[in-house]
Amino acid sequence: MTPSLALDCAAVDELAPAYGLGAVDPAEERSISLHLQTCAEPHADARDLIDAASLLAHTLEPVVPSAALRDRLMATVQSTAQDHRTTPRRAYVPAPEPQRRWWSMGALPSAVAAAALAAAIGLGAWGASAQAQLAEREEVLRAVASADVAYRVSGDAGDGWVLQSGSQAMFIADELDELPTDRHYALWLIQADGTTTRTGAVTETDGVAVVALEDLLTGSVRFTVTIEEHVVEAPSGEPVLTAQLGA
Amino acid sequence: MRVDDARLADRIRSGETQALGELYDRYGATALATALRVVGSREEAEDVVHDAFVTMWRKMDRFDAQRGSLRAWLMTVVRNRGIDRVRARRSTVDVEEADERSLLRTGPNPTWDAVVTRTSISDLRAALATLPDEQRRSVELAYFEGYTYREVATLTGVPAGTANGRMRLALAKLRDALGGSSAASHVGQDATLSKKVTS
Repeated sequence: MTPSLALDCAAVDELAPAYGLGAVDPAEERSISLHLQTCAEPHADARDLIDAASLLAHTLEPVVPSAALRDRLMATVQSTAQDHRTTPRRAYVPAPEPQRRWWSMGALPSAVAAAALAAAIGLGAWGASAQAQLAEREEVLRAVASADVAYRVSGDAGDGWVLQSGSQAMFIADELDELPTDRHYALWLIQADGTTTRTGAVTETDGVAVVALEDLLTGSVRFTVTIEEHVVEAPSGEPVLTAQLGA
Repeated sequence: MRVDDARLADRIRSGETQALGELYDRYGATALATALRVVGSREEAEDVVHDAFVTMWRKMDRFDAQRGSLRAWLMTVVRNRGIDRVRARRSTVDVEEADERSLLRTGPNPTWDAVVTRTSISDLRAALATLPDEQRRSVELAYFEGYTYREVATLTGVPAGTANGRMRLALAKLRDALGGSSAASHVGQDATLSKKVTS
């Protein structure tokens, strides 16, 4: 897979049916489209399912439009310039400029950055209603899609994303398993030679967890999360969440 | 993509309005059927079709035939425009942004255009009718009513993974029933899986 993609191959294959049906969030749709355009893997089965979805429009009996519609359309077209004749052609920038760039928070302490992001994307209202949850999730996904690099993190404790944009890296997880009050999730970056660096922690598991990492992902090969009782210099247990970086 | 569709796209790209009219004559009725199914009102559906063809006209230079067929792109724009109208009641939508995403999409390969060409509507409906109710409902909620798979999960009272799984099974069965697969080696496996899950 191309490292700069926000979704890995497994996620693309998983979401292919919903993508084919137009039933994914806009950020997911962009990520899947870009992945399928650039990934070295064939994704043959996923592409077949996407193709099959296109048949649904043809299960309907055609409805003959009114003559007036054709006349109106042709009149509109006659007076409408084609985009490439009015503006210089430019490459499409798939991810729109986010309204709130969380990574611009720079050197803010992790807890402050997390709180600021949570407030900015409205995560404080997470759980208020199903519709609100969906809208908020879309905001998170938009942030994921806008990142320079993003990797899916998954494991027994739940799933989420670890991502980096500019000089800031971030961990976002949705509904991590609740922990006893004397435990926390410790976040680790692991380099190719086995060096492990503690890069943050998650102490609140209610809803979406957003944590600004203390280090960039660059140079590390793996991101893992363990459950710890104390602040330790190396993981003391098995990872409950993992992402391969640069894969 | 049909060869004449490719030529039509070239002519539209070069600014020939008559070619756009020919595209409309070829697919207008199918487009209107889709729009009507989504928005429910004839008047609104005709507006959707009008806007979709204007989008074809404006953005044809950006259409990439390597990524999908002209027909599929048109139907995606029609569907998205219709869904946007339905969704506009509950949130702000960005039609331009949705059009840009439609240009990025991966669409059917030529094998599937051939399936559409050779398969009658009744055969397509029959294939759809063979689906278990919950699978058919899932794809219809998604495709025609514009719900995401997470919303479908909420509406049908199942986990998101189950909703997505139903969509997968439904599409795999349509694919198998119509024999348009370009990944033949996978078809048997999915068909077996479908039988196991639904039996």
